[in-house]
Amino acid sequence: MSTTTGTLDFFARLLAFKRSAPDAASRPAPAVPSAVPTTAGEMMQQPEYSDTKKKPVRLTTVEQTDGRINQYPPPSSWDEWIEWDSKSWPKRVARRYTLVPTICFNCESACGLLAYVDKDTYDIRKFEGNPTHPGSRGRNCAKGPATHNQVYDPERILYPLKRVGARGEGKWKRVGWDEALTDIAEKMRASRAKRRDGIMYHVGRPGEDHYANRAIQSWGVDGHNSHTNICSAAARVGYYMWAGADRPSPDYAHARATVLVSAHLESGHYFNPHAQRIMEGKHKGGKLIVLDPRLSNTAARSDVWLPTWPGSEASVLLSIANYLIQNGLYNRDFVRQWVNWEETLEAAEKFAVDDDVKAIAREAQEAKASAADGSYRFEDFERLLEALYDEFTFERAAKESQVPIERLVEAAEAIAAAGTHVSGHTWRSATMGNRGGWQVARALFFLSVLTGSVSTKGGTGLNSNNKFVPKPHSTPKPLETWNELHLPHEWPFAMYEMSFLLPHFIEEGRGDIDVYFTRVYNPMWINPDGFMWMKTLQDEEKMKFHVALTPTWNESAWFADYVLPMGHSGERHDLMSQETHAGQWIGFRQPVRRVAMERAGLEVKRTYEANPGEVWEEAELWIDLSWKMDPDGSLGIREHFESPTKPGEPITMDEYWGYIFDNSVPGLPEKAESEGLTPLAYMRKYGAFEITTDCYVPHEKELAADADGVDVDGVRRTGFKTPSKKLEFFSPTLSDWGWKEQDYCIPWTLESHVSLGNIDHTGGEMLLLPTFRLPTLIHTRSANAKWLYEISHKNPVWMHPRDGERLGVRTGDLIRVTTEIGYFVDRVWVTEGIKPGIIAMSHHLGRWRLKEAEGIGAGMSNLVTLDESDGEHQLHVVHGARAWKSPDPDTSRVWWEDVGVHQNLTHAVHPDPVSGAHCWHQKALRVEKAKPTDQHGDVSVDTKRSMEVYREWIALSRSAVDYSPDGTRRPYWLKRPLKPAPSAYKLPERPWGRD
Amino acid sequence: MNYGFVIDNRSCIGCHACSTACKSENEVPLGVYRTWVKYTETGTYPNSQRHFQVTRCNHCTNPPCARICPTGAMYQRDDGIVEFNKDACIGCKACMQACPYDAIHIDPETNTASKCHFCAHRIEVGLEPSCAVVCPTHAIIAGDMDDPDSEIAQVLSREKVSVRKPEQGTSPKVFYIDGAAVSLVPTATERTPESYQWADVLPLHPGDHSSHGASHGAPPAPRKNREGVALRAPQPQGLPTAGPIMLGGSQASHMVQVGYNAQHKIPWHWPVPAYLVTKGIGTGIFLLLAMIFGLGLAPFDPLTAVVGGMISTVFMLATTALLVIDLERPERFLYILLRPQWRSWLTRGAIFLMGFSTIGGLWTTVELAAFAGFLDPALAESARPYLLWSGVPFAVGGAIYTAFLFGQAEGRDLWQSPLLPLHLLIQATMAGAGALLVAGFFIDLGVMESMVVWTFAIAVGLDLFVTLVGEFGMPHASEVAARAAHEISHGRYKNQFWYGAIVVGHLVPLALVIGGGSLLLAVAGAAALAGLWFFEHAFVMAPQEIPNS
Repeated sequence: MSTTTGTLDFFARLLAFKRSAPDAASRPAPAVPSAVPTTAGEMMQQPEYSDTKKKPVRLTTVEQTDGRINQYPPPSSWDEWIEWDSKSWPKRVARRYTLVPTICFNCESACGLLAYVDKDTYDIRKFEGNPTHPGSRGRNCAKGPATHNQVYDPERILYPLKRVGARGEGKWKRVGWDEALTDIAEKMRASRAKRRDGIMYHVGRPGEDHYANRAIQSWGVDGHNSHTNICSAAARVGYYMWAGADRPSPDYAHARATVLVSAHLESGHYFNPHAQRIMEGKHKGGKLIVLDPRLSNTAARSDVWLPTWPGSEASVLLSIANYLIQNGLYNRDFVRQWVNWEETLEAAEKFAVDDDVKAIAREAQEAKASAADGSYRFEDFERLLEALYDEFTFERAAKESQVPIERLVEAAEAIAAAGTHVSGHTWRSATMGNRGGWQVARALFFLSVLTGSVSTKGGTGLNSNNKFVPKPHSTPKPLETWNELHLPHEWPFAMYEMSFLLPHFIEEGRGDIDVYFTRVYNPMWINPDGFMWMKTLQDEEKMKFHVALTPTWNESAWFADYVLPMGHSGERHDLMSQETHAGQWIGFRQPVRRVAMERAGLEVKRTYEANPGEVWEEAELWIDLSWKMDPDGSLGIREHFESPTKPGEPITMDEYWGYIFDNSVPGLPEKAESEGLTPLAYMRKYGAFEITTDCYVPHEKELAADADGVDVDGVRRTGFKTPSKKLEFFSPTLSDWGWKEQDYCIPWTLESHVSLGNIDHTGGEMLLLPTFRLPTLIHTRSANAKWLYEISHKNPVWMHPRDGERLGVRTGDLIRVTTEIGYFVDRVWVTEGIKPGIIAMSHHLGRWRLKEAEGIGAGMSNLVTLDESDGEHQLHVVHGARAWKSPDPDTSRVWWEDVGVHQNLTHAVHPDPVSGAHCWHQKALRVEKAKPTDQHGDVSVDTKRSMEVYREWIALSRSAVDYSPDGTRRPYWLKRPLKPAPSAYKLPERPWGRD
Repeated sequence: MNYGFVIDNRSCIGCHACSTACKSENEVPLGVYRTWVKYTETGTYPNSQRHFQVTRCNHCTNPPCARICPTGAMYQRDDGIVEFNKDACIGCKACMQACPYDAIHIDPETNTASKCHFCAHRIEVGLEPSCAVVCPTHAIIAGDMDDPDSEIAQVLSREKVSVRKPEQGTSPKVFYIDGAAVSLVPTATERTPESYQWADVLPLHPGDHSSHGASHGAPPAPRKNREGVALRAPQPQGLPTAGPIMLGGSQASHMVQVGYNAQHKIPWHWPVPAYLVTKGIGTGIFLLLAMIFGLGLAPFDPLTAVVGGMISTVFMLATTALLVIDLERPERFLYILLRPQWRSWLTRGAIFLMGFSTIGGLWTTVELAAFAGFLDPALAESARPYLLWSGVPFAVGGAIYTAFLFGQAEGRDLWQSPLLPLHLLIQATMAGAGALLVAGFFIDLGVMESMVVWTFAIAVGLDLFVTLVGEFGMPHASEVAARAAHEISHGRYKNQFWYGAIVVGHLVPLALVIGGGSLLLAVAGAAALAGLWFFEHAFVMAPQEIPNS
């Protein structure tokens, strides 16, 4: 046969008969005709796998005695695993791999991955799941396997780049790491010598647990800025005020009722690990209740879908609470033992609005005064609850939310029937959409409290139960400094830095920045009001130096002075732990090529020697940079980066992680020893370690009578991390810091900026829900993954048929959506899966670049032009995605064109007066058929108007200057990512704006 | 061993992890999918619903793709896995026509057929398919259904399951728990939107704005019966209500739309209808001459024989060229003979065509040699009956085998017409006679002329009857066939069909034949050939536009 085939192939060449690709006719010829050198000057080459045909191989067949099929090669075979090459199949070509575990770097779930590294070329053939990972259990979402695309993205940045020409002009030259780090370190050292707030590290999703924060702390600057206030600040405030923990950790797998104010089955914060367990709970008979005005995939899978009008979620949740209260269906013992009801009764007369509530509070105080033991009666608190919440009827909730009342009743009954197995989660969605959204988290957790489902099996635990962050060999001292650009006095409760207002602060003259790091973060694209960011990033007076640490091009990096290529999932060391379920684990991200080379006996000193091009990792970079910043150790920085065993030498990766695994992870040394491995070798082999699965009700842990805890029915117990160690139904902290009203200091409803009453439907206004996520993408991190973009590349405006009919538009038609500060033009997707009156857009899409052949990939972004005149900005799309030639033949097969619309540019900033969160929902002042001159993707914004809206919202805040009870900036017990020493908390003598 | 999948729709969350894991495991290029997640949306807010369906090769117990494959590149392993061998595939795309599930595509890298193969390369080392491994919610269960202890066997014995298109007799082995008809049945979703939820929709025909077929007009205006009751006029049989349900002039009330689906291309284009025409001419002329000379209906006419034989030979060469052009891997066309799969009518057809071309070519050569004086005419005369009569069965086979090939195309119900063998024979006769009439303008057909004219007229008349009364007059049993027929007679192809095939192809020739005269007869012949092209084009294209997934 082979002779015949050979002859025929020869014949074919003679014929020289070339077929065109079958799909060639579907799209016009590509406009990017050939491989052009990218900005990096070099394109990522595609992987090659060794040919083992000549070597004798013996395949291992994985057999189960019971006939089951295995999912993974057993770990004993990971060092050398041979399998058939799928591409040559059914021709049997064997390939030889070494399997290196790592963890995913797309979302924050930290799911396990297993890289198949070719034993000869060290190219990565694929990423599968890691079966030994306790969180992800060998399974992944679409983004796990697509990590391969990110590694082999032909346009990835391979070398450090230095700006030449004006900032934003897009001219770069390749430089060496040493040159780049020397330059950057000198600027950092100069800034540090002058001030303690001149260096700012602005991080998107950290993807690691302590490393960067430790580096910043060692520099002695208040330099940590996060994205939290556009992500989860509101939910964090809600949970923190209840329990002193800033996020929930529901035990979905054992829940009998799960309440999600989110789309957790497609985009949960811990998407894959949570989705697995939510469905597990549902299969065991648990009821899934979902609040979302949009038919998300999660809503589609729910037992009870509550399509609430945004802003009404707290009302709905409190109507369920009221049902439990009025019918005596709550867990009396739990509430009596663990809620700060005495404190509540003490304060109730002051915060209550209704006379009957005030009367109950007075009676309770009188009863206390006359009681033999001088204490409050729990029955009075129960009466107080009944009187407080009786206004939250199902009828009211149905009216405010526009949800059929039967569904509210159904949800309430399911929750009442679930005992102590009620799990709930809200993270972004309603909490981040609405002004006052933090009360949604308070109201949701109230249901867990009333049912006694706090940290129980099947209940809602706290992240502190499950997340485990081990300590490194040295920890720098807390900072004694406060950066006013991070946490200004107007928002004492912000969780955390008011990051999305940075350009507005700078515009107002609140400060400037000497060295600004953006790290896997694209502030100009992802934040609201992006043109304000562009203005700041271009301002070399105020933003003196910008270093972008990123694995791939992004809109903000275009305006950097240095672009430093950072590794993807399989190209870096990080340690991560997440509260994915009722269990504790750590996961170890590894540079898999480096590990494979070291397994083969090769020496690798720096990870960039093993990674593609000179792609590096922060873990090593921070060591070298900090060393250069303090070469003689005089600033006290260098000591934290020295080898513990060889003073005067920088610490190595093996030393750093080895110390942690040897000393800071309970049970790991023993487990490693049982396999004859060092703890480091164990983690390099398995990539994950389960610390414990015994995580339920830690607050009940009994303590010695004099220990730091709380007395519950005469027993000393650990309690919660609040000042009272109880669950704070009434929050003395909020009350003391200026939020005395009932609406704020107990779980209540707050009027959203987009509540039903605030949208003038008859005047043509609609609500723009701009935040929903897709299961296939992750913010702006995935515009380098061809398999993900092929499935999902555009974000049309979802619209109900009734609204479509009113506006005269059908699926595919162009509309113009006018917000408070501008407008955008996009196509419509008409569906019954959205609440009438609301339009919704997925937030990932609409990426853009300014040069045809440089920047974000041609298959993933729009080519645009930008124009500005007196604060009036125009973004115009020249064309959408195009096929183009590169070392990866797939880039010439890009078949889609629409890559979405960058709507965030048109969003005004909405800082919540309490949580500081950006309230994402936008009021669409007008939604209309596009005008004849409008083109898909057009964006127009007036940044003068941006500043006006900013000022309207800042006026709602209650400054610590006016309300601080003790002269400090912020309640000290509140979390901050890098918490300064108490001395830094003193309010400044001349607060900004108060001269 | 009997491998199959259970897809548990109760667990599927529509995350597309399986699609991506498959791309990674099998290095599947952009533009095609071996497995994907179809989204459909139904209902009225707030009672709307979204359904997810993992969609892929069914690894049919009785796979039509394996039956139709001419080279055995698509085959079923003994363990039940339907596998393909890209090194044996010639890219004829017959398997794509045979698959009623849109599970097969042409891989743009290899230009050969490709599809889910149950990760057979993993199964052989004891590992599950990668889609099953990656699935976060364990919604994909892969395993050996023969093993009573396997999870899949236990699930199948416990749960109610459904499959896609059981009526095709393929016995699919991808079983759905909680399967939704709107997803299982491709045509249940009336209209593919201009766009998907977050992906572009490519038009089936380049340049078209709208997507998959469905050129539905407004519903007919109500009429009144004798009692004065306003009636809705009955629609064509087998054809569901046109367009989305309308209320107040807008799509409302009840949504049924596709949110996401993999997009498929039409496998066969112009070379296939063109080959039907050239093959008709080639075999038709020979059959006509063989009948006339063989049965002695007219005295032997050397010029007609030579010219006719040459036309036949040229058109058979053109037929071969068209067939080769249409292959995605034309250089492999000889694989049909070198590794034949005898159940395939492509293979059998190739034998007919080659047998016929050989005998027909030989006969033409002999007659030409005798005509030109290189050969003793007596020798040609004595060889004639043997060559003609031995050529007839091959010519008939060559003319009609496509009916059996189309019959093997389980994915195109319209093609599976019992009339088709007869129809193709009539068309061949019509085309052969038509071609001779065209030739008659240049040469004198002599005594043959009236014979050819009569044959032509009768064939055109018969073809008109079979087309209008048979193919398009009889209601079609399956909805898919009815839709394709409707596309031809009332949809996208209606002008081609009515003006091209019926008027130009039949009515004009019949009228001209009555007029007579070599010019008009030649025009009549040419018109019939043009009409045949229009008909074949519509007939080949329309069924390929009806979605199978």
